[in-house]
Order: sequence, then structure tokens, then C-alpha cells
Amino acid sequence: MPKITIDGREIELPDGQRMNVIEAAKLSGVEIPHYCYHPGLPVVGSCRMCLIETGNCDAKTGEIKMQPKLVPGCTVPATDGLVIVTANEKVRQARAMVEEDLLLRHPVDCPICDKAGECTLQDYYFKYGQASRRTDVMPFTSRKRDLGDVNLFIDRCVLCSRCVRFCAEVSGTAELMIANRGAHEEIDVVPDFPLHNELSGNVVDLCPVGALADKDFLYQQRVWFMRRHRSVCTDCSVGCSIWVEENQDQIYRLKPRENPHVNKWWICNQGRYGYHHVHDANRLAVPRVRKDGKTVDLSWNGLPEELKSKLFTAGHLGGVFSPFISVEEAYLLAKLLRSIDPQAVLAMGPMPRVGEDQKFPGGFVITAEKVPNRRGIEEILGYFMHKVLSFEDFLQEMQRIEFGGVWVSGGYKGPWIEDSAARRFEKIPLLIVQDLFPSSLSERATYQLPAAAFSEREGSYMNRDDRLQTANMAVRPPWGVRAEGSLFWQMLGRKGLYNSRTVLDDLSREVLYFAPAAGPLPDTGLDMKINKLAEVGALTAKTA
Amino acid sequence: MKTDDARIRWVESPKLGMLGKSYLTLFIKGLTTTLGHLFFHKKVTLESPEQRHKVLDPVNYRGVHRLNKDEQGRVKCVACFLCATACPAHCIDIVAEPSPWPDREKYPKVFNIDELRCIFCGMCEQACPVEAIELTSFYDLTGASREEMIFDKEKLLSVFDQTKEREPMPSKRANDAAQDRLKTCPTSGDSS
Amino acid sequence: MLPIVLVALIKVGLVIGGLMTAAAYLVLGERWIAAWIQDRKGPNRVGIPLTKIRLFGLGQPLADGVKFLFKAEYTPAHVDKGLYFFAPMTIFITAIAVFAVIPFGSFLPSDIFPASWGVHEPINLVIAPGVDVGMIFVFAMGSIAVYGVVLGGWASNSKYSFLGGLRSSAQLIGYELPLGLGILGVVLSSGSLRLDAIMEHQAQTGAWNAFVQPLGMIVFCVASFAEASRLPFDLPEAEQELIGGYHTEYFGIKLMMYLVGEYLHMVAAAFLIVMLFFGGWHFWGLTGSGNIVTWGEAILRIVVLNVKVLGMVFFFMVARWSWARFRYDQLMSLAWLVMLPMGMVNLAYVAIWEEYGGDWARSAGFSPQIAMTLCGWAVFSVTWYVATKMSPSQGDNRPRRQSRESNIRPGFEAEK
Ligand code: SF4
Ligand code: SF4
Ligand code: FES
Repeated sequence: MPKITIDGREIELPDGQRMNVIEAAKLSGVEIPHYCYHPGLPVVGSCRMCLIETGNCDAKTGEIKMQPKLVPGCTVPATDGLVIVTANEKVRQARAMVEEDLLLRHPVDCPICDKAGECTLQDYYFKYGQASRRTDVMPFTSRKRDLGDVNLFIDRCVLCSRCVRFCAEVSGTAELMIANRGAHEEIDVVPDFPLHNELSGNVVDLCPVGALADKDFLYQQRVWFMRRHRSVCTDCSVGCSIWVEENQDQIYRLKPRENPHVNKWWICNQGRYGYHHVHDANRLAVPRVRKDGKTVDLSWNGLPEELKSKLFTAGHLGGVFSPFISVEEAYLLAKLLRSIDPQAVLAMGPMPRVGEDQKFPGGFVITAEKVPNRRGIEEILGYFMHKVLSFEDFLQEMQRIEFGGVWVSGGYKGPWIEDSAARRFEKIPLLIVQDLFPSSLSERATYQLPAAAFSEREGSYMNRDDRLQTANMAVRPPWGVRAEGSLFWQMLGRKGLYNSRTVLDDLSREVLYFAPAAGPLPDTGLDMKINKLAEVGALTAKTA
Repeated sequence: MKTDDARIRWVESPKLGMLGKSYLTLFIKGLTTTLGHLFFHKKVTLESPEQRHKVLDPVNYRGVHRLNKDEQGRVKCVACFLCATACPAHCIDIVAEPSPWPDREKYPKVFNIDELRCIFCGMCEQACPVEAIELTSFYDLTGASREEMIFDKEKLLSVFDQTKEREPMPSKRANDAAQDRLKTCPTSGDSS
Repeated sequence: MLPIVLVALIKVGLVIGGLMTAAAYLVLGERWIAAWIQDRKGPNRVGIPLTKIRLFGLGQPLADGVKFLFKAEYTPAHVDKGLYFFAPMTIFITAIAVFAVIPFGSFLPSDIFPASWGVHEPINLVIAPGVDVGMIFVFAMGSIAVYGVVLGGWASNSKYSFLGGLRSSAQLIGYELPLGLGILGVVLSSGSLRLDAIMEHQAQTGAWNAFVQPLGMIVFCVASFAEASRLPFDLPEAEQELIGGYHTEYFGIKLMMYLVGEYLHMVAAAFLIVMLFFGGWHFWGLTGSGNIVTWGEAILRIVVLNVKVLGMVFFFMVARWSWARFRYDQLMSLAWLVMLPMGMVNLAYVAIWEEYGGDWARSAGFSPQIAMTLCGWAVFSVTWYVATKMSPSQGDNRPRRQSRESNIRPGFEAEK
């Protein structure tokens, strides 16, 4: 176990991990400021912000020999016997000098910069910079350049080259480059080859200052007004961990949430900008009922009871489970339908696929299957039905069986059902459709219920690798919309408010597959594949 | 905190004498005070709107806001939201947009101040990095509805037009003062 | 028969109409006095509607009344509906009912009617003439008013109203005892419970009870301030310091009933003080005595009585700004530890005097009125002195026992 000394404190590092001094110091709670270093990118050591004093401790004599010059911490591997000092006058002066240099030609237009508030240049200057600026203040404006997917404010840039390395190494598209030399260096693209790739949004997160600005977020909101909520991206079956950043029930942006098991530090553009449907004006906003060929708006008062009594008298029941609802909601819905009709046929909703899986040089994957929770629903259906019916199977069943009532949960972000399929639901006497947007199916529904978007509900999703992650509620549903979970909860006659954690606990007790989900889930999710082994083990134990 | 803490000094209220305890002095004092005011004092009521309150220092007065204009008549505000951040009453609502002018980057598309919510503390004026928002000496705001009292950008800019003569912007004041000083200061040759 | 009914109806109309108008204008008067005491001008804008004539703000009561009528009228969901409506009515009705036995003058000569009507007695200016239990009726009604307070607090189903109701009822009940003791002395010396008889007694002797029984007067005045919940005893409401009190959850016309009821209490208290202790309609050399009156005397008596009452009401209003509100414990100890014993001393003194004093004075050759006055002031001074001597010399709110024990606090000892 390698031992290093940081500021006189000896710490032990975990075995078998290669890390540099910045990471090692972070482990022990010491911050070494840095711009160009990023754990997901190759090290270049160009910004010099991480300068520290290093030395070596002789293992036998215990004598410490310091190096005469400061070295960049990002380039120094943490090896046994290393001694580093981050808190002396020499280091302090070096940092202050770097800060001063960086600000020499910086416009200091923080008031109009979208990064202000989460800008490392601001933060470090307050922490490590000089008390006052010795140079003239530049004009309060920065040159702007359209790079393609993002904007570049040229004068704000500190030339850390993170974005360039990202495009070269992670997305593998290499659009960005550093043009010119010396004091005239600028980020640029080759004419006619703009920055345009599936992961380009990440360069904005990578930029430690406000040089790269998101076009979608440009001037929308100041960052300190927003609150962030843990969530999971629902745009494909990878299930990236994200932050939903919101102010007063309006989502302003989504950001990747670091998760070493799923998405590392990145998310794709589709996921990043895939929240606009939440605030779409076309969303279904009120429950409606179709009576005598006319649709009438309803209020939620007494509606759950009404639905329940209608279901009780409907006869044979069927349920279509959208892969967009969470595991908990699927479980509650299955319970609900099965408690009314023990023979209810439960099936999976349609599974939209777009193109092929995409794999990027940096290891990032975008899958073709554009749903977040296929695996979770499969497990729930498997438990209740002992097999998983696909949507096509369900359409077949409809030919065979006379359904009295069918509950279709939608929640897809775009059009999801063909007219021909929707027409086959026409003859069902009680069709309850719960969806985000009007569709040819919701027009045929007896009851049309507005559904909640991903950010408006809490629940867990299981991605293609069987990783169960919990997403919190970020914004309240619009007036008139009730999240699925709380509706099912009430229809099942449970007391109090819907709580996904309680449901997950019930689920882990009832369904063997979900047993490990008892107790709090880590923020990075829980790998349920381990559980497969346990299941096999239990089966063999039974037969033996 | 414990009541027997050694650092606590118990201060006794002053003891009353016989006269005080008999309540007579209090009775007489109270009655003479009220009757004195009732009959012999000048009334201080200012009968607005016939009589007007005089604003002694319009520049320092904290009344209705205005949005200042620059030399070209454009709104000075750069939509930085700093006033909205500083505002303790959360009454400033800004929607920003990239500006249509080449020399400016960001400007407010919408700038609303809910004058009914505002507590006229002047924090917005302090927070503004470009002296775009200021409080004027207008103090009698009236409106027929709540909506009317939410001042939008146009209204705030028009307040500037009405008050710019009487209450120049700080930078202009500083400039004028410097000019004055230049005029009055003796040239170096005279000082000998 | 008919004339009697007619006369009674006219009197009822006069009293109720007069009271309502008076209450409205007294509110205006109170606002003026409050304003003037605070060097303001007070309401002076509302005059004749639809004109620009201001009339010093005399239109204000009308405007206030209209405002009250047009206030949104709804009932909070959590209240006890029946009691919620009933409580303000209790206060209002009892406050008006009290005036059934309170004279608003003395007598009118009988020649107001044509001789053919056969009315030969002078007309007594009280709604219910000749009620022998007059004072008891007043007390009974006053005690029912406590129900209005308690019920209002209870029916509102809110903790603030409820606490307010409890607070007020403790005060109202506590001060009823000194109130009664203050009256007993007067009743004892005049030998009747009827207010007109009490006034007549003072008119005949020419010595107002305030002079011969100063102690009784003080006790009664203080107690009626408290009963009418006027400052410095307005703990039931205490609007600057506490949440409204028992009528926190009331508004609109129901709140107005409470407020008018309280105003009428104050007016009734002013009437009683004037009649019991300040000679009622009597003024030396002006009004004469007895129930055979000329028209001039009759009108003078009405004027004198009402001037005195207005003077008393004025005192009530000035008192509001003159003295600070008592703390609740001070209020209670004032009732039980000061006013109650004082009332008893007064009662004992009057009883002894009535038994022996008059004879003794006459045999000794003094005028009994002058002797009783001197004696009464002597008793008053001694009692006041004793009460002063015994009251604590510090007004802080430490528990009584502790403050009497010693001045040494733990901290002082540690310092030494
Ligand atoms: S004066 Fe104060 S309360 Fe009013 S807008 Fe400015 S900061 Fe907000
Ligand atoms: S602080 Fe000044 S520049 Fe910034 S938004 Fe407010 S008014 Fe505009
Ligand atoms: S982080 Fe080490 S040089 Fe930039």
C-alpha cells in the first residue's frame, strides 16, 4: 500500500490504482487547483495552476529530499514515499501568478457570463488570487465565435485545451483545434467543419471558464438561481446519471452526473437537450372522459374511485406497460390490475429503436433502444405473468381474448403507436390511456389521463446492464397532471403520500429479483446482475 | 444560558417611592400629557394630496425605479440578474436575450419590477455593475390594479426620461463635479 | 292602555335609534380624540356623499357602516356554525337590553298629551319605569355578555380566539366583584335598587355619592373600565400586543356587532357612573328635585345628564392614551388584592355610617352630609395609604415570593 505525505500528513492510498497527485490529494481532502487536468482526459500539464512542491522520503533513513523547482501536480504519479507540499508561500505565490496571468487579457465580464457562479476562474481567483488586479480592466465584452453546436467567447478562454482533447479522444471527431501561436492562441474549427457531433455538449461542461457556452442555455438563467436534482436520463437504455437543474418548476438544463459505472463524466446531446418535451404546450393537461362521442374535461376529484369501480365491472382486463414508467409504478399498476382481475394480461409497450448502437472511442455508448426501463418492466411482468409479452404479442392476444378493459400507460416522448395498431383498440369498452401527448390511441380512449414526464416523478429505472438507479422528482407536474405513482398508490387504497422508497421496499420483499434493492440505493445505482447468481443459488438449494 | 451564570448581572428595575406606588403621579402625568396634546399642540398632519411632501435630496431618495439609458438611448442594463439576486423581496423579473447591437452581448428582453412587492431598499441600485437601475424620487405610486403596478421595461425607461434632468446618473454627477473642480481650481502658476 | 304602549314604543325607538347613532358618532369622536392627542388631524374628509362638502368628516360613520355592510360575508369552514352566529348576538343584544332600565332623563310633565287621553302622571324617561330590581337587571345582562366572549372564543375553533376568550372571561368575571361591591354602598345609602330613586336621593340631599363615598367611586370606576374592556384594561383585545382576542375570526357585520356591543358597554358604564356617583340629572340650583317638573326643568335635567355622560365618555377616550396597559398579572392582582378589599372597606364604612353615623352627626350638631363627606375622605385616604404601603415597590414580573425574599441573585453571590 503506497504511502505519501501531503502537507505533513501521511496518507495511505488504495492498492493497485494509478493516480496522480491531484487525485491523491483529493482523497485526503486537500484541494489542488487545476484547469487543464480532467480525470477523463489525457494529461497535458499546460495550465500550471497545479504547481506544488514535491520531494522524496528515503524509506530506510526517513530523510526527506525536496525538489528545488515546483512541478505540476497533474503530471506527478502518486508513488510510495512521495512528499508533497501544497500550502507554503512558494506555492501560494505560484498560484497567484498563474491567476494574474490568466486575467491579464480576460474581459472580466462576469455579469453577463453564463458560467459566473460555477466558474473555476472566479473561484480560484477568490481563493488563490491577489487581492486586487494590477492591470487595466479590459472592455466589458468578449469576442464571440459560432463553433457549430456551441458558442465560443474567445477572450474568456484560458487555453486549457480540455475541449480539444475531448474531441480528439472521447468523441473521436477532432473538430476543435488551437489556432495561432503564443499570445494569439485561440480555439477554432477548420472552416466548413464545424463542431458537430453527438457528444459536443460535453465541451461546455468541461470548459472551466465561460468560454464555451451552450446555445440552448445561453442567457436563460443565472446558475445560482437553479436547484439541481438527481435524476436518470430516459432517452436511451444506457440510463446515464444526470442532474436536472430547475428554478421554480422550469427546467433550464440537464448536466451529466459523474457515475463511473454508466456514463463516467459525459452525456450525449440527445439526452442533454431531451427535456423540452416537459414544457411542451401540447401535453395532455387534464383528465378527459369520452361520453356519447364527445370528450369532456374531468377533475381528479373522485376520479380514482370512479376508475376503480369501472375497472371492477369491466370484465377481463389487460395492461400495457410503457418502458418509460419506473419499476415502482409498473409494480403498483400490475398489483392494481391483478387485484381487480387475477387473470389480467400484462404486456410490454412498444419499444422504439433508432438506428444502431453507437460506440465512441472514449468508451461512451448510445444505444438504439430509446427507452430507459425495458429491463425493469420485463422483471415485473416476468414476476406477474411468468413470461414477457411484447406489444405485438398483446395485439395477438386481443384477437383471441375479449378484453373488457385495457389500461395503456404511455409516457413516450414522441409519436409511438401506429394508426393501424391504435385502431385495434377501438372495440374495447373501457380503454384507459395515460400519456404525455395526444395520439391516435388517446383519441380513442374512454378515459384519457395526463401522465407525468420523467422529471416530475420519482422512481427507479433499470438500464440495459441491469443497473437500478433512482431518479428524484425535480419539478412539480403542471396543474391538472398527476404522476402515475401517486395515482396507482391512491387507487390501491394506500394511505399517505406516494413514496417510491416504500414501494421499492415492498417490491424487494415480494419479488426475489429485486431483493438487493432493499435499503438505500447508492447514487450511482445498484448492479442487479449479481442477483442472478443468488437466484440460481436459491433454485439449486431448493432442488437439492 | 443558565440564570445563575456568573457573567450575568441582574439589573433591578428602579424602586418606586410611596408616591409612585400610589399610582397618583402616573395618573396625573398621563392625564396632563394627553390633555396637553389635545389642546395645546400644533398638528403635524400633512394633508396630501393638497400639500406635498418635500423630497430634500432627490438623488438619495428611494422611490420608484428607473432604468437608465446610455448615450444612444438604449437601455443600459446588461441583464446580469445581479439586481434580481440582491433583491430581498424577489420582485425583479428579467428575461435575457443576446443583444441586437454589435457592441453589447446581452440585454433584457423583459424587465419587470413588481412595485407592490418592492420594499424600496435600494439593494438593486447597489448591486448593478453598470448603473442601469436607480431609485428616483417619485414616491406616490397609484394604480387601479395589481397588474398595473408591475412596471415593465418601457415604463421604467420612461421614468428615466422624466427624471434625468432632476436626478442625473452618478457617473454624470461625478463627471460634472470634476468639470466644476477643473474650472475653479487655481492653475499651478497661481499658487506661488 | 294605548297611550302607555305608545309611550313605551316611542321610548324604545328613541333609545335604540339614539344609541346606534351615538355609537357611530362616538367612534368618530374617539378617532378624532385619538388623532388630536397624537397631534394628527383625524378623519376630516368624508362629508356629504357625491358633493365636495366635507363637514369636518361627519360623514365618516356612514361610510364606515356601508363598508362593514359590503364586506365579504363568509363563515370560516372550521367554526361551530351555530355558536359562531350566536355569540356576537349575545353581546349585542345584552348590551342594548341594559338600557331598558337606564333612564335617559328624569320626567316629562304629563301635559304633553291631550287631557282627554287621561294620562295624569308625569312620564318617566326610562323604557321600563318602576322596575324595582333595576341594578340587578343591569348586572344580569352584564354577566350574560361574558357568554358572548367565551362562546365567540370557543366557536371560532382557533387557538388564538380560544385563549383570547379565556383571558377575557377571567378578567370580566374577576372585575364583577368589585363592581358589585362599589354599587352596594350606593344602594345601601339610598335604599333602593332603582336608578331613578338613587338619582333622586342624591338630588334631595345634594351630596353626590362621589363626594361621600370616594372609595366606592374609585372601585366602581376602575371595575367598569375593566368590564367595558377599555384601556388600560383592554386585555381582551390588546391589539398592539396580542392577536385580536376572542373575535380574531370574525369580520364584517358580525365583527361590527361585537364592536358596537363593546361601545354600548362603555356608554352604559358612563351612564351608571354618572347616575350612581355624580348625581345623574342633578345639578345644584338648576334642576330641583322630585318628580313634579316644569318643562324647563325637565329639559335641563336631560341636558345635564347627557352632558355628564358625554364628559365621562370623553374621559374614557382620553384614558385610552393616558396610561399604559396593565400586564395580565397586574390586572388580576389589582382586581383581587386591591379593588376587592377596598370595596369591602367601603361597604363596611357605609353600613356603619348608615346605622350610627347620621344620628351621631345630627346629635353632635353637624350637617350629616358634610360629616359623611369628611368621614368618607378620611376612610379613602387611610385605605389608599395602606394599599400603597402594601403594594410591591418593584414592578417586575418575577414570581412574587422570590422578589419579596431578597434581592440577592445567584450571580451577585458568585461575584463576591
Ligand atoms: S429596491 Fe430593494 S426590494 Fe425594491 S427592487 Fe430594488 S432590491 Fe428589490
Ligand atoms: S443589475 Fe443592472 S445590469 Fe444587471 S440586470 Fe439589474 S439593472 Fe440590469
Ligand atoms: S492541471 Fe496541471 S498543469 Fe493544468
